[in-house]
Amino acid sequence: MNTNLKISNVTKIYPGCVANDNISLEFNSGKIYALLGENGAGKSTLVKILSGVIIPDEGKIYLNENYLKLNSPLDAKKNDIGMVFQHFNLFETLSVFENLIIDSDEQRESVREKIDAIMKKYNFSIDLDIPVLNLSAGQKQKVEIIRCLIRSPKVLIMDEPTSVLTEQETSELFLSLKKFSDEGILIIYITHKLKEVMQLCDEVAVMRRGKLVSVSEIKNENIESLANKMVGQNLKTIKKKKAKTSSDQLIKITNLNFTSEDPFETNLTDINFSVNRGECLGIAGISGNGQSELFQVLSGEIISEKNSIEFNNNYIGDLSPQERREYLMAFSPEDRLEQAAIPQMKIFENVALNNFKSSNFFNNGLINENKIKEHSKKIISDFNVNTDNIELKSQFLSGGNLQKLIIGRELITSPDLLICFNPTWGLDVGAINYIHETLIKINEQNKSIILISTDTDELLKLSDKISVIHKGKLSKIMNSEEVTSEKLGILMGGAN
Amino acid sequence: MIIDINFIGLIIASIMASAVPLILASCGELITERSGVLNLGVEGMMIIGAISGFALMTVTGSLIIAIFGAMLAGVLISTIFAFLTQTLITNHVATGLALTIFGIGISAMIGKNFVGIPGKEFPVLFEGLKDTIPLLGPILFGHSIVFYFAFALPFITSYFLKKTKIGLIVRAVGDSPESASNQGINVRLVRYACILYGGAMSGLAGAYLSMIYTPQWIENMTGGRGWIALALVVFSTWNPIKILIGAMIFGGLTIIQFHMQAIGVRIPVQFLTALPYIVTIIVLVVISRDSRKIRLSTPSSLGKSFHKDN
Repeated sequence: MNTNLKISNVTKIYPGCVANDNISLEFNSGKIYALLGENGAGKSTLVKILSGVIIPDEGKIYLNENYLKLNSPLDAKKNDIGMVFQHFNLFETLSVFENLIIDSDEQRESVREKIDAIMKKYNFSIDLDIPVLNLSAGQKQKVEIIRCLIRSPKVLIMDEPTSVLTEQETSELFLSLKKFSDEGILIIYITHKLKEVMQLCDEVAVMRRGKLVSVSEIKNENIESLANKMVGQNLKTIKKKKAKTSSDQLIKITNLNFTSEDPFETNLTDINFSVNRGECLGIAGISGNGQSELFQVLSGEIISEKNSIEFNNNYIGDLSPQERREYLMAFSPEDRLEQAAIPQMKIFENVALNNFKSSNFFNNGLINENKIKEHSKKIISDFNVNTDNIELKSQFLSGGNLQKLIIGRELITSPDLLICFNPTWGLDVGAINYIHETLIKINEQNKSIILISTDTDELLKLSDKISVIHKGKLSKIMNSEEVTSEKLGILMGGAN
Repeated sequence: MIIDINFIGLIIASIMASAVPLILASCGELITERSGVLNLGVEGMMIIGAISGFALMTVTGSLIIAIFGAMLAGVLISTIFAFLTQTLITNHVATGLALTIFGIGISAMIGKNFVGIPGKEFPVLFEGLKDTIPLLGPILFGHSIVFYFAFALPFITSYFLKKTKIGLIVRAVGDSPESASNQGINVRLVRYACILYGGAMSGLAGAYLSMIYTPQWIENMTGGRGWIALALVVFSTWNPIKILIGAMIFGGLTIIQFHMQAIGVRIPVQFLTALPYIVTIIVLVVISRDSRKIRLSTPSSLGKSFHKDN
């Protein structure tokens, strides 16, 4: 049976931002639709409206000509709309099976039979009786998909499903999605990755700043045309000039290990690498493979053995982040609002935070506000932070502006080494470009970077050497010219 | 020296009796916390239950009205907490502390007229069977209905959480209210229900103290048992069966140290009085050391406000 889903004049307004501006779209089963847009374009809002999580201010949804009143996720489920969220909606401490039966009214046994049948049909293999926290991201996503399939949905919405997957897992997912589509399930695929759209989808709708920009068939589009529609301007491409090979070693990690007591964390085993001056070492990997622990060990949030980290001919493994900063290291953690900045504090206060000793921000324990403010203003203009109010609480800065501010703040001491963890995560293309340019500039000044990132394209663009982290172990260090994203994908999946 | 075996039975029974209010309040709070809500007002809810039960018993003369009235009083005061934390999204910790202070104050005020009034005798079950079996007789028989309920409660709670659909929903809400909400679960409703249930159990625990355990009203008669109940929940790592163990150790040491003081053992009194607190926590920490299990049983959203955004 054919399924027809119609979005008619949907508008959702948040204070200070129109998330969806009068959107109308129509979908038919048998095709895979892409909903493409940058972060903040409004595509997540739109699919949350379709799945009943958000109630639109105006507009209506029709399924097979019937008006759907979606006031809660339950309504969407009852009307055969299934959704796999970008951030998994799973209960980590419950077992897989418990996660799957929580919204079902049927008997446990009959649900189990259904699940077994689904897993067999689509070649999924997941242990139903272990807690979800033991699963890989790919497996978690399969659990989410099974949860939708149990209800035999007419519509399946996937919100940025590949952000946590390896290349292999991604191609598996695409195979499954094509199968679902062949079986008559209408698929709506939300993403900002152009390659995936070209690979998987039949039709594409592009959104920008809450507005629907275009609807077209994939065969009439190419990556450049979609990129320009998505960003709304022609993008300049950034390329890194090959760094002159330097043999002046800056940091050396020797036999570094970390064993965590928290089962949520990954243990690091036998980490060895070195970075020369002017070099950028990229560390690739799927999130949750020890990146966060590695960052903490390198930054001193986790103390390790003194001799395991040698920086500028000093052994610093047992030093705190503050002490490491005095040796001219700088850090840009992954979570901007939790780790890098304090959301409730003003911009200039955040600027003062990482520099207690080496700066002249403090005199005899008193804050020298004028100095800090002066410097904050300099960062804001030098790093193109889009605000002129340094009294603004940093939580009100956009992700891109906050990231620029943080990088600017870290570079205050002109550090020899900057360690970044997913510096462009969740940023729009313009901000990403700016951050990339800044990182390249740092290398050109003969300073070094360790770039831990889950974005393969970013790593290939910026790194001189690349290694892959998998289950807390580093692969061998490769020169970035000899690496392709496919090769990285294989290593990220744990193969050799 | 010949020790009467039934005397040992009586001591064990008195230990169990002293554990009853802890088990009741802890099991109630455990459900509340499993849904992600940290209610530090247990002491306050208990003392409200204690005065309500005693006052209703004195005024109406009906034990049934008194017991259920005490539970209702616990529900009512916990409704304040639920309204503040779930509807007005106030901070759990501050609100819970305020609830305790409020409970102690208001119970003292109401209780003024009830000081010195003797309580009523609470009927016990299976009194006649007490002497039929040596040792076990006094342990098993001749207790109030609340006593039996309390010792069944950890097992009921465990079954409820592990085997029932509603139990699963409670755990899910405690694990991730966002996910639960996206699954169509009414997080606020579940949390309200869990808070109110916790209030009812604390109320019952208080009533047990003022109506059965020491049938009289004394100001501040809960004497920190609410705090111990809270500690039991945490140190048992949200496991009802371990709550039972912890409550028995605490009750046991409380009783034994009384006897030791009475016999005149040459250990400083302060140390003896502190002993139950120290040992209970040490034992529970030791039996709950598995960090993986702690991770799995700790409600991830404990104490965090959930506000549905739209």
